[in-house]
Amino acid sequence: MSPLRAGRWIAAIPMAALALATVYPLVFTANVAMKTRREYVLDRFAPAEGLRWDAFATAWSSADMGRYLANSLLVVSGSVALLLLFGSMAGFALSQLRFRGSRVLYLACLAALFIPFQVIMVPLARTLGQAGLIDTYPGLILAYTAQFLPFTVFLMTSYYSGIPAEIIDAARIDGNSVYGVYGRIMLPLGRPALLSVGILNALFCWNDVLIALLLMPSAEHRTLMVGVTSLRGQYSADIPTFAGGVLIAAVPVLVLYLCFQRQITAGVTAGATKG
Amino acid sequence: MTAASTPVRTPVRAGAQTPRRRVRSGRGAAGKSRAERLAPYVLVAPAALIIGVFRLYPLALGVNFSFTGDGDRNGQAVGFDNYATLFDDPLFLASMRNVGLLVLLLPVAVAIPGLLATFVYMRVPGHRVYRGVYFFPAVLSPVIIGAIFNLLLAFDGPVNALLGAVGIGPVDWLGDPDVAMYAVVAVHIWATFGMALVVFLAGFATLDASLIDAARVDGASLPRVVRHVIVPGLSRTIQFVVVTTMIGMLTSMFGLLYVMTGGGPEGSTYLPEYYIWFQQGQMSRPALASAASTVLFGVMLVVGLAQIAVLRRTGRED
Repeated sequence: MSPLRAGRWIAAIPMAALALATVYPLVFTANVAMKTRREYVLDRFAPAEGLRWDAFATAWSSADMGRYLANSLLVVSGSVALLLLFGSMAGFALSQLRFRGSRVLYLACLAALFIPFQVIMVPLARTLGQAGLIDTYPGLILAYTAQFLPFTVFLMTSYYSGIPAEIIDAARIDGNSVYGVYGRIMLPLGRPALLSVGILNALFCWNDVLIALLLMPSAEHRTLMVGVTSLRGQYSADIPTFAGGVLIAAVPVLVLYLCFQRQITAGVTAGATKG
Repeated sequence: MTAASTPVRTPVRAGAQTPRRRVRSGRGAAGKSRAERLAPYVLVAPAALIIGVFRLYPLALGVNFSFTGDGDRNGQAVGFDNYATLFDDPLFLASMRNVGLLVLLLPVAVAIPGLLATFVYMRVPGHRVYRGVYFFPAVLSPVIIGAIFNLLLAFDGPVNALLGAVGIGPVDWLGDPDVAMYAVVAVHIWATFGMALVVFLAGFATLDASLIDAARVDGASLPRVVRHVIVPGLSRTIQFVVVTTMIGMLTSMFGLLYVMTGGGPEGSTYLPEYYIWFQQGQMSRPALASAASTVLFGVMLVVGLAQIAVLRRTGRED
């Protein structure tokens, strides 16, 4: 047995332990959410006595998680739609069309990629405030679009530059305008990249708390993640409901991950290999 | 075909007369209408406007703000007063000390996913499952992770119960100023190592497997294979992970801090991003917050420039 072969089995032990440590926190939380408050206080580790969904129901209705979920869905879908539209348009132009200033625009986009939100949040909040966009859905959608557009343009540009110019030339000879090429050729061809980038952007927007906290101060406009942060104070004496609310916020992401694991990891590594 | 599998080409080369970029000249310059000539600008306009107005312009605006006053002196030029206030403020100094701590912990945050990726690459039994499981926390919001770990790290929570079982006294993970920052960073690493792991694996895919096989045939031990074959072959990937991990620690721990510690106890878990939010959102001192933003941007610029310097050097060696 070669040393590497033996090493494999030795390595498997910490790897399994770590996998357990990755999954256990969620299992623990789910178990807590199934307990009654009394069960939790008596023994927080024992398996719940049965499948009880009360905690989820309470979190959904009295903690307003249902409303926050709807807010999040609205903001995330609006942002992702704008990101994909503007990102693919710019990506097509920057990768396949020749025009004056395209290189400068591309470099500006790259530079914007390296400006974190924390650095611009004060002036951005002021600008949005002057435009009357604080505490409005369009304002938050605009902020998310601005935040993740550089990344989207960057990935769409590098994806579209892999498409052979012959395809576009042929479409032009068939009498398509530039817009026709975009709508009939580039959008359908870009589907795999759009799916990957779209899911990543949906995750980014869904998971954000800082931007939403800053730009959506009123309670009825809270997104789901901001809602989760307020659970703790509200249910400090009712941990099962707290756990239930946290899980309601985690489930959509869990489902998305299980369905699109390949696209998500592809998007993450695309950023790496192309950076 | 996924985004990752597409060959990379230099995306834009506006001036170069490459034969494959002929879209506009498809039917000769004479046949083009004005609308066709403007088309590229129309396509780029929304993205360019949004990025310009809401990302690039605020950067300049913020630097400008940082030299004006707050409250009574709103709008007046105050020179470097905000920066003086900043470096007199124990909270801000604590946040900068914590940045230093993050830099010190960076090797750990990079080595863990690197080592695990090596194991996965070596096809440790069950490696396919591990890969999917490890990545999973990376898609969860820091807010959810923080909320879950609030339960786990509670004084009478599972972690202390586990330690108690092996005879280690309970630790006040989030209440002890000497421990809290380490606890939060550990949770951050727990939540994000899967991301770096996936990037490492993409790097491994470009490694020459025959080199590793050859080392294995020669009977090289695992640490030697890692040191002499894998690390040199992955230098670019390692650099990428180092920089993205550092940027991640500087800019994506807000959710954890907000939920787990709120900057406490005794301000021991402040980071610049939390300080900026605190001054802007809680204290209504936007100018001071802008000064802190400018300092944070400076720190990130140093990280970025250091990366470019390293890339240049290895580029020359290639």
